[in-house]
Amino acid sequence: MTPLDRVPAECRQPIDAAVLMDYWLGALPFEAEDPVEEHLMNCDRCGDRLREVIALADGLRTLAQSGSLCVVVSDQFVKHAGDAGQRVRQYAPPQGGSVQCTVSSDDDLLIARLTVDLSTAARVDLTWCDPGGTEVLRMTDIPVRGDAGAVICQQSITFAKASPSNTLIARLVSVDRQGAERLLGEYAFHHTRTIPGPGGWESY
Amino acid sequence: MLEASDAHLAVRIADGDTEAEAEVCRRIAPRIRLYGLRHLRSSFAADDLVQQVLLKMLEALRAGRLRDPEKLAHFALGTCRMTVVELRRTTRRQTRLLAEFGPELIPDPPPLPRLDGAQLARCVQTLKERERSVVVLTFYDEQTAAEVAGFLGLSEPNVRVIRHRAVRQLRACMESKA
Repeated sequence: MTPLDRVPAECRQPIDAAVLMDYWLGALPFEAEDPVEEHLMNCDRCGDRLREVIALADGLRTLAQSGSLCVVVSDQFVKHAGDAGQRVRQYAPPQGGSVQCTVSSDDDLLIARLTVDLSTAARVDLTWCDPGGTEVLRMTDIPVRGDAGAVICQQSITFAKASPSNTLIARLVSVDRQGAERLLGEYAFHHTRTIPGPGGWESY
Repeated sequence: MLEASDAHLAVRIADGDTEAEAEVCRRIAPRIRLYGLRHLRSSFAADDLVQQVLLKMLEALRAGRLRDPEKLAHFALGTCRMTVVELRRTTRRQTRLLAEFGPELIPDPPPLPRLDGAQLARCVQTLKERERSVVVLTFYDEQTAAEVAGFLGLSEPNVRVIRHRAVRQLRACMESKA
């Protein structure tokens, strides 16, 4: 043994970033985890890359918990949020009907629960329109199960808290291969602002 | 760059060289901490693990109990594994070892890279709906691919593919804006 050995400056077989993320999420099979840990205990380069993965995962968790994303979620997600102590404001207007809604400053998540029969739908889009019918947002090919019976959509709580009183129409449409749309359900949300702020978008 | 090998450091520690001890701590501590973050999911618990594993390693190295000095990192990993199991059982040994050696050898951990949260939010909004749902459900409270797959009506491998694709796109998006 020599007293000084050359330590490799570069990692010759860096662990794939996807494998590092799976390792961090505990999603690797047991037999695949062992060589990753052996490598990490010897390689600071891959350790640095794992730190980048952890930072990204932490950032995504913070973002997911912030309630600021517009995204289709699951029943389990909403339940976990409530169990974790987050204040969940949830509205479930009837199909073809409307609901009066608001948000308060201490709400964490805003959830729209849209009851709908998805059993005959192919691709499903969720559009958000103003009262005049102008589409302001389209969520294309949302993830749904045919037997779900509802679409659960998280709206941005950040946007809702800043929003003046207004009405938004949610429309669930089935889109076939030719692009033709069929209305599955329509829901009106009459939002009343209760947090102090500007009167309305139209005043700007 | 020339550095003393792990094996050389192990031999020097057995000879009572405290500088070699400090070098082993500097070198191995960040790796132990990563292992702790992964398995204990807490920076405080990971710091505890770093302390305990280093103390056990130094105790063994001083006594010349490491049979193959070339396998210092492997020894560290094995000690990590045993200690995580022990951490879940008792804290008594930690108290005794800390009283014996003290925490002064433990270096500050390397910080995690800083992430631009606003930019990450913009990148997430560019994902397809299916990818965004998978990302949110996965990272909100670390749901497994099986749980996410159950909600989406997809197979587990399919969820993994969607997650890999989404994470790759997010990394590219973050790097392009950096």
